[in-house]
Amino acid sequence: MLGFLQRQTEHPRIGQIRKLGLFATLKPRELWVIDDLLQERRYLKDEVIFDEGEEGQTLYIVLSGTVLICRQGEPEIGRIAIVPAGVLFGELALLDGAPRAAQARAAEDCLLASLSRADFKNLIETNAVIASKIAFQLAAELGQKLRAKGALPAESHPL
Amino acid sequence: MTSRYLASGPLVWVAIFAFTTLLLVASTKALWLVVPLLLAVILYYMLYPIVRRLALAGLSREMAATLVAGGFTLLAIAVMIPTLPWLAAHSVSSEESLNRYLDGGRALLDRTLAALESQFGFLQRMNFQAQMGSKVTELGETFLQKELAASLLGAAMWLPSLLLAPFFTFFFLRDGRRFLKMFGSAVPNAFFERTVYMVDRVHNTARDYFQGLLKLTVIDTVLLAFGLWMIGVPGAFFLGLLCAVLAWVPVVGSVIGCIIVVLVAATDFPGDPFVVCASIALFILVRLLDDFIFLPLTVGRSIQMHPLPTVLMIFIGGAVAGVPGLILALPLAGVVSAVAGTIGGIVNDPRLRARHNFAKSLRARRINADLRV
Repeated sequence: MLGFLQRQTEHPRIGQIRKLGLFATLKPRELWVIDDLLQERRYLKDEVIFDEGEEGQTLYIVLSGTVLICRQGEPEIGRIAIVPAGVLFGELALLDGAPRAAQARAAEDCLLASLSRADFKNLIETNAVIASKIAFQLAAELGQKLRAKGALPAESHPL
Repeated sequence: MTSRYLASGPLVWVAIFAFTTLLLVASTKALWLVVPLLLAVILYYMLYPIVRRLALAGLSREMAATLVAGGFTLLAIAVMIPTLPWLAAHSVSSEESLNRYLDGGRALLDRTLAALESQFGFLQRMNFQAQMGSKVTELGETFLQKELAASLLGAAMWLPSLLLAPFFTFFFLRDGRRFLKMFGSAVPNAFFERTVYMVDRVHNTARDYFQGLLKLTVIDTVLLAFGLWMIGVPGAFFLGLLCAVLAWVPVVGSVIGCIIVVLVAATDFPGDPFVVCASIALFILVRLLDDFIFLPLTVGRSIQMHPLPTVLMIFIGGAVAGVPGLILALPLAGVVSAVAGTIGGIVNDPRLRARHNFAKSLRARRINADLRV
């Protein structure tokens, strides 16, 4: 009924975040809400995004460029992963302010979108449906990562 | 839970006190701006959940903010249209009523002093009733002639500026997030997460304080209105609401509210001391409930400060900025403590400063890449 009042244009960033597993179950209008919360940051090659042990406040989505995840101060020998465009990292920051498990540096010039824990918490209070969908996907992704690392059996039985 | 992001040392606390005091002094010089801004912040936190609901329903933020702010303004106008002529028609009788209630209060005081004189001989020898009575009459006349007239004239002067409140509220609702993003984009990458944390703390402090204040006002209105209605005081709801709003001014507001109700009770029930005593008892009971139960559950959660600096800040606010200082001292101190704590945390973190300097050198090297000799 209120179709004429609805937004007509879609931010190009929405196309990118739609492909992320974390937001895969969100409807288009729910993606708009998430997009409204994102802040873009530009980093130069070698710039530190966050340090190991730092209190995590935000999740990052790589919109362009690549990000290196490594042990603190060891970008060459302590390499853990390379995060390409269209993938997110630092997602545990959404759950708690626990220290970051590794250092993140820009492997090349990159554009990131950040979602803060504060905004995610506000989302839980105001838009519980969106927040629960994200939390569910987050739990599923963490489960997959734990299985991949062998921390959980491939078919674990509920206790 | 205290974050590792926050610094709290004696220097930080001195800075919090000094900066809050400075802001309070500055606020007294621009009341015409501070009052509508304060009102706009309260309205923003009242209307913000509705805007988010509409945004989820598919409306753009701009449209949702326009609908909500416009709807609220229309509602306010719809309420004011019948209220203003009524107020104008009753302004003459209001002055008469004020004098009647003041006379009623004076009569109550006379009766109380007479009763005291009959109980204590030394008071009679001092001619206590006559002396106190003339002092109070003199004080009342001075108050009416000078203070009240000056206060009403001052309030009338910045009353038109209240029209700014819906205007500010609309832009807070529509562009608040855009302002925050603009502010965030100006912050260097190294300090970004700390700034996110600080903005969240400031937002939560202000939101919890003002939403808590509104909840407390509703609770106080209901309790006082119910209590006064039970006692039999006329206009119980209006008096309850007036006293609950007056309680926004710490310490002084509740005392003034209590005096108003006692004046009404003494005037409308001159021969019935029970009504006056019961009204005072009701006020003390509600005050105790507020201080020990409702205040910690509502407003108290927002200001994460020790009670000692909290009380000190209220008194400093009252001393440097009068009634506005009393009202603004706590929310300002809460916001300033969040900002000062975060800045202190950044200044005391050599790693963050080193990262910032490294990023600056990377940018400088990139800019000057083709300028090397």
